[in-house]
Amino acid sequence: MATPVPVLRLPKGPDPNSRGFDPNSPRFIALCRTSISSSAASDTDSEQLQKEQHARSVLREGFLRCLLSMTNKKVQFQMYENVKVEATFGASDIDVLNFQVSDLHTPIGVQKEALIRCQDVISFTFDV
Amino acid sequence: MMQCGWPLMGPLRWLHYVNKEVKVRAGKGEEHRGWLLSVDPVSASVVLVSFGEAVAVRVVMGHAVEAVEVLRAADDETAKRLRSVFLPPPSPCLDPKELRQRRDALRQWLQENRIPVEEEGEELKVAGVLTIAAPYSGQDCRSSNQIILDRIQRLVGIQDCTNQRLPL
Repeated sequence: MATPVPVLRLPKGPDPNSRGFDPNSPRFIALCRTSISSSAASDTDSEQLQKEQHARSVLREGFLRCLLSMTNKKVQFQMYENVKVEATFGASDIDVLNFQVSDLHTPIGVQKEALIRCQDVISFTFDV
Repeated sequence: MMQCGWPLMGPLRWLHYVNKEVKVRAGKGEEHRGWLLSVDPVSASVVLVSFGEAVAVRVVMGHAVEAVEVLRAADDETAKRLRSVFLPPPSPCLDPKELRQRRDALRQWLQENRIPVEEEGEELKVAGVLTIAAPYSGQDCRSSNQIILDRIQRLVGIQDCTNQRLPL
Protein backbone atom coordinates (compact mmCIF):
# COMPACT_ATOMS: atom_id res chain seq x y z
CA MET A 1 0.00 0.00 0.00
CA ALA A 2 1.41 3.37 -0.92
CA THR A 3 -1.34 5.92 -0.27
CA PRO A 4 0.26 9.09 1.02
CA VAL A 5 -1.04 10.09 4.42
CA PRO A 6 -1.75 13.84 4.71
CA VAL A 7 0.29 15.77 7.24
CA LEU A 8 -1.97 16.67 10.14
CA ARG A 9 0.28 19.08 11.93
CA LEU A 10 3.53 20.79 10.99
CA PRO A 11 6.41 20.25 13.40
CA LYS A 12 7.63 23.15 15.53
CA GLY A 13 10.51 24.97 13.88
CA PRO A 14 13.92 25.39 15.50
CA ASP A 15 14.43 28.13 18.06
CA PRO A 16 15.83 31.04 16.01
CA ASN A 17 17.80 32.39 18.94
CA SER A 18 19.95 29.46 19.82
CA ARG A 19 21.87 26.69 18.12
CA GLY A 20 20.75 24.14 20.64
CA PHE A 21 24.20 23.48 22.03
CA ASP A 22 23.92 26.14 24.76
CA PRO A 23 23.08 24.18 27.90
CA ASN A 24 21.12 27.14 29.26
CA SER A 25 18.89 27.57 26.24
CA PRO A 26 15.24 26.66 26.80
CA ARG A 27 15.40 24.17 23.91
CA PHE A 28 18.34 22.33 25.41
CA ILE A 29 16.73 22.15 28.82
CA ALA A 30 13.41 21.01 27.41
CA LEU A 31 14.69 18.46 24.94
CA CYS A 32 18.31 17.59 25.50
CA ARG A 33 18.20 15.73 28.76
CA THR A 34 20.26 12.99 27.22
CA SER A 35 22.71 15.21 25.35
CA ILE A 36 26.14 14.91 26.82
CA SER A 37 28.01 18.04 27.84
CA SER A 38 31.78 18.17 27.84
CA SER A 39 33.45 17.54 31.18
CA ALA A 40 33.70 20.57 33.45
CA ALA A 41 36.88 22.58 32.86
CA SER A 42 37.72 22.37 36.54
CA ASP A 43 37.91 18.58 36.36
CA THR A 44 40.70 18.34 33.88
CA ASP A 45 43.98 20.06 33.26
CA SER A 46 44.50 21.75 29.92
CA GLU A 47 46.50 18.91 28.38
CA GLN A 48 43.83 16.41 29.26
CA LEU A 49 41.20 18.80 27.94
CA GLN A 50 43.10 19.13 24.68
CA LYS A 51 43.27 15.36 24.32
CA GLU A 52 39.59 15.11 25.06
CA GLN A 53 38.71 17.77 22.53
CA HIS A 54 40.82 16.04 19.89
CA ALA A 55 39.10 12.74 20.64
CA ARG A 56 35.75 14.49 20.53
CA SER A 57 36.41 15.95 17.06
CA VAL A 58 37.71 12.68 15.64
CA LEU A 59 34.67 10.81 16.92
CA ARG A 60 32.21 13.46 15.81
CA GLU A 61 33.73 13.61 12.34
CA GLY A 62 33.33 9.83 12.01
CA PHE A 63 29.72 10.07 13.07
CA LEU A 64 28.95 12.99 10.74
CA ARG A 65 30.44 11.11 7.81
CA CYS A 66 28.16 8.22 8.71
CA LEU A 67 25.14 10.53 8.64
CA LEU A 68 26.32 12.03 5.36
CA SER A 69 26.59 8.66 3.69
CA MET A 70 23.10 7.83 4.91
CA THR A 71 21.39 10.68 3.03
CA ASN A 72 18.84 9.53 0.47
CA LYS A 73 19.36 5.90 1.40
CA LYS A 74 16.73 3.52 2.74
CA VAL A 75 17.15 3.11 6.46
CA GLN A 76 15.41 0.63 8.76
CA PHE A 77 14.61 2.04 12.21
CA GLN A 78 14.23 -0.24 15.18
CA MET A 79 12.09 1.60 17.73
CA TYR A 80 10.69 0.79 21.15
CA GLU A 81 7.54 -1.36 21.50
CA ASN A 82 8.86 -3.65 18.77
CA VAL A 83 8.15 -1.10 16.05
CA LYS A 84 10.18 -1.42 12.85
CA VAL A 85 9.83 1.20 10.13
CA GLU A 86 11.64 1.96 6.93
CA ALA A 87 12.23 5.39 5.45
CA THR A 88 14.57 7.35 3.26
CA PHE A 89 16.95 9.32 5.41
CA GLY A 90 17.04 13.09 4.92
CA ALA A 91 18.91 14.84 7.70
CA SER A 92 19.59 14.96 11.41
CA ASP A 93 19.57 17.97 13.70
CA ILE A 94 22.76 19.05 15.41
CA ASP A 95 22.13 17.32 18.75
CA VAL A 96 20.84 14.12 17.15
CA LEU A 97 17.38 14.55 18.61
CA ASN A 98 15.33 14.32 15.44
CA PHE A 99 15.77 12.74 12.04
CA GLN A 100 14.04 14.14 8.99
CA VAL A 101 12.94 11.32 6.70
CA SER A 102 10.86 10.87 3.55
CA ASP A 103 8.57 8.02 2.52
CA LEU A 104 8.17 6.67 5.99
CA HIS A 105 6.42 3.31 5.72
CA THR A 106 4.07 2.93 8.66
CA PRO A 107 1.32 0.37 9.29
CA ILE A 108 -1.27 3.01 8.36
CA GLY A 109 0.34 4.19 5.16
CA VAL A 110 3.31 5.99 3.70
CA GLN A 111 4.08 9.35 5.27
CA LYS A 112 5.66 11.51 2.60
CA GLU A 113 7.73 13.57 5.04
CA ALA A 114 8.23 12.94 8.74
CA LEU A 115 10.34 13.71 11.77
CA ILE A 116 11.46 10.76 13.83
CA ARG A 117 12.28 11.43 17.46
CA CYS A 118 15.64 9.87 18.25
CA GLN A 119 14.45 9.19 21.78
CA ASP A 120 12.06 6.62 20.29
CA VAL A 121 14.77 4.87 18.28
CA ILE A 122 16.84 2.01 19.63
CA SER A 123 18.96 1.48 16.53
CA PHE A 124 18.86 1.92 12.79
CA THR A 125 20.61 0.22 9.94
CA PHE A 126 21.46 0.78 6.28
CA ASP A 127 23.75 -0.55 3.58
CA VAL A 128 26.55 1.67 2.38
CA MET B 1 31.41 -4.97 30.18
CA MET B 2 30.06 -1.48 30.59
CA GLN B 3 26.61 -1.22 32.17
CA CYS B 4 24.46 1.82 31.58
CA GLY B 5 27.38 4.20 32.10
CA TRP B 6 28.02 4.32 28.39
CA PRO B 7 26.87 7.93 27.72
CA LEU B 8 28.98 9.18 30.62
CA MET B 9 32.26 7.57 29.66
CA GLY B 10 33.53 10.48 27.59
CA PRO B 11 35.45 10.81 24.34
CA LEU B 12 38.80 9.51 25.63
CA ARG B 13 37.32 6.23 26.78
CA TRP B 14 35.08 5.87 23.73
CA LEU B 15 38.14 6.30 21.54
CA HIS B 16 39.51 3.05 23.01
CA TYR B 17 36.59 1.15 21.47
CA VAL B 18 37.23 2.40 17.95
CA ASN B 19 38.48 -0.27 15.51
CA LYS B 20 37.44 -3.05 17.88
CA GLU B 21 34.87 -5.71 17.19
CA VAL B 22 32.21 -5.26 19.85
CA LYS B 23 28.94 -6.77 20.98
CA VAL B 24 26.39 -4.11 21.94
CA ARG B 25 23.34 -4.91 24.01
CA ALA B 26 20.57 -2.38 23.54
CA GLY B 27 16.92 -1.65 24.14
CA LYS B 28 14.85 -4.71 24.96
CA GLY B 29 17.22 -7.60 24.53
CA GLU B 30 18.68 -6.55 21.19
CA GLU B 31 22.23 -7.60 20.59
CA HIS B 32 24.37 -6.30 17.75
CA ARG B 33 27.85 -7.24 16.71
CA GLY B 34 30.19 -5.32 14.48
CA TRP B 35 33.32 -3.26 14.11
CA LEU B 36 33.01 -0.05 16.08
CA LEU B 37 33.75 2.79 13.73
CA SER B 38 32.89 5.74 15.93
CA VAL B 39 30.90 6.96 18.91
CA ASP B 40 29.06 10.25 18.54
CA PRO B 41 30.25 12.49 21.40
CA VAL B 42 26.95 14.37 21.37
CA SER B 43 24.57 11.42 21.67
CA ALA B 44 26.94 8.52 22.55
CA SER B 45 25.49 6.62 19.59
CA VAL B 46 27.62 3.69 18.47
CA VAL B 47 28.39 3.19 14.78
CA LEU B 48 28.92 -0.49 13.95
CA VAL B 49 30.03 -1.85 10.59
CA SER B 50 29.83 -5.40 9.30
CA PHE B 51 31.41 -6.58 6.10
CA GLY B 52 29.30 -9.11 4.28
CA GLU B 53 27.91 -9.09 0.78
CA ALA B 54 27.30 -5.40 1.33
CA VAL B 55 28.82 -3.14 3.93
CA ALA B 56 26.07 -2.95 6.55
CA VAL B 57 26.07 -0.15 9.10
CA ARG B 58 24.08 -0.19 12.30
CA VAL B 59 23.92 2.79 14.62
CA VAL B 60 22.78 2.11 18.17
CA MET B 61 21.45 5.24 19.88
CA GLY B 62 23.47 6.22 22.95
CA HIS B 63 20.45 6.37 25.23
CA ALA B 64 19.55 2.76 24.32
CA VAL B 65 22.98 1.20 24.94
CA GLU B 66 22.93 -1.21 27.85
CA ALA B 67 26.36 -2.80 27.53
CA VAL B 68 29.33 -2.84 25.18
CA GLU B 69 31.69 -5.80 25.18
CA VAL B 70 34.97 -5.81 23.29
CA LEU B 71 35.56 -9.03 21.36
CA ARG B 72 38.78 -8.35 19.51
CA ALA B 73 40.89 -5.63 17.93
CA ALA B 74 41.00 -5.02 14.19
CA ASP B 75 44.08 -6.05 12.26
CA ASP B 76 45.74 -3.47 10.00
CA GLU B 77 43.77 -4.47 6.94
CA THR B 78 40.40 -4.25 8.68
CA ALA B 79 41.37 -0.96 10.30
CA LYS B 80 42.23 0.41 6.87
CA ARG B 81 38.92 -0.83 5.50
CA LEU B 82 37.05 0.77 8.37
CA ARG B 83 38.73 4.11 7.81
CA SER B 84 37.54 4.16 4.21
CA VAL B 85 33.91 3.04 4.77
CA PHE B 86 32.43 6.52 4.72
CA LEU B 87 34.94 8.31 2.60
CA PRO B 88 33.73 9.15 -0.89
CA PRO B 89 35.23 6.92 -3.60
CA PRO B 90 38.40 8.51 -4.98
CA SER B 91 37.46 10.50 -8.07
CA PRO B 92 39.25 9.46 -11.22
CA CYS B 93 42.00 11.94 -12.08
CA LEU B 94 41.11 14.00 -15.11
CA ASP B 95 43.90 15.53 -17.11
CA PRO B 96 44.23 19.33 -17.07
CA LYS B 97 42.82 19.70 -20.58
CA GLU B 98 39.63 17.85 -19.70
CA LEU B 99 39.32 19.81 -16.48
CA ARG B 100 39.67 23.06 -18.42
CA GLN B 101 36.98 21.92 -20.84
CA ARG B 102 34.61 21.06 -18.01
CA ARG B 103 35.29 24.35 -16.30
CA ASP B 104 34.64 26.36 -19.44
CA ALA B 105 31.50 24.42 -20.25
CA LEU B 106 30.17 25.01 -16.74
CA ARG B 107 31.06 28.71 -16.79
CA GLN B 108 29.22 29.09 -20.07
CA TRP B 109 26.20 27.23 -18.78
CA LEU B 110 26.02 29.42 -15.67
CA GLN B 111 26.36 32.58 -17.76
CA GLU B 112 23.58 31.40 -20.08
CA ASN B 113 21.45 31.14 -16.97
CA ARG B 114 22.38 34.71 -16.04
CA ILE B 115 24.45 33.69 -13.05
CA PRO B 116 27.47 35.93 -12.38
CA VAL B 117 30.55 33.72 -12.47
CA GLU B 118 34.27 34.43 -12.50
CA GLU B 119 37.31 32.27 -12.81
CA GLU B 120 39.55 32.28 -9.77
CA GLY B 121 42.62 30.21 -10.57
CA GLU B 122 41.43 26.67 -11.02
CA GLU B 123 38.07 27.37 -9.42
CA LEU B 124 34.88 29.14 -10.42
CA LYS B 125 33.50 31.83 -8.12
CA VAL B 126 29.75 32.25 -8.37
CA ALA B 127 28.10 35.49 -7.25
CA GLY B 128 31.04 36.05 -4.92
CA VAL B 129 29.67 33.53 -2.41
CA LEU B 130 30.01 30.07 -3.92
CA THR B 131 33.11 28.25 -5.12
CA ILE B 132 33.21 25.35 -7.53
CA ALA B 133 36.41 23.33 -7.55
CA ALA B 134 37.58 20.56 -9.87
CA PRO B 135 36.08 18.36 -11.21
CA TYR B 136 33.17 20.85 -11.26
CA SER B 137 30.27 18.60 -10.33
CA GLY B 138 27.37 19.38 -8.00
CA GLN B 139 29.32 17.85 -5.14
CA ASP B 140 32.22 20.25 -5.66
CA CYS B 141 30.21 23.37 -4.85
CA ARG B 142 31.04 25.13 -1.61
CA SER B 143 29.12 27.99 -0.04
CA SER B 144 27.86 29.19 3.30
CA ASN B 145 24.56 30.22 1.72
CA GLN B 146 22.30 27.18 1.59
CA ILE B 147 19.80 28.65 -0.83
CA ILE B 148 22.35 29.64 -3.42
CA LEU B 149 24.15 26.30 -2.93
CA ASP B 150 20.96 24.40 -3.60
CA ARG B 151 20.11 26.40 -6.73
CA ILE B 152 23.59 26.14 -8.24
CA GLN B 153 23.81 22.43 -7.46
CA ARG B 154 20.54 21.89 -9.29
CA LEU B 155 21.77 23.88 -12.27
CA VAL B 156 25.04 21.98 -12.39
CA GLY B 157 23.06 18.77 -12.12
CA ILE B 158 20.89 19.68 -15.09
CA GLN B 159 23.92 20.38 -17.22
CA ASP B 160 25.47 17.09 -16.16
CA CYS B 161 22.40 15.21 -17.35
CA THR B 162 21.43 16.99 -20.52
CA ASN B 163 24.57 18.38 -22.15
CA GLN B 164 27.45 16.36 -23.48
CA ARG B 165 29.64 16.99 -20.46
CA LEU B 166 32.50 14.55 -20.05
CA PRO B 167 31.31 11.79 -17.74
CA LEU B 168 33.02 11.62 -14.34
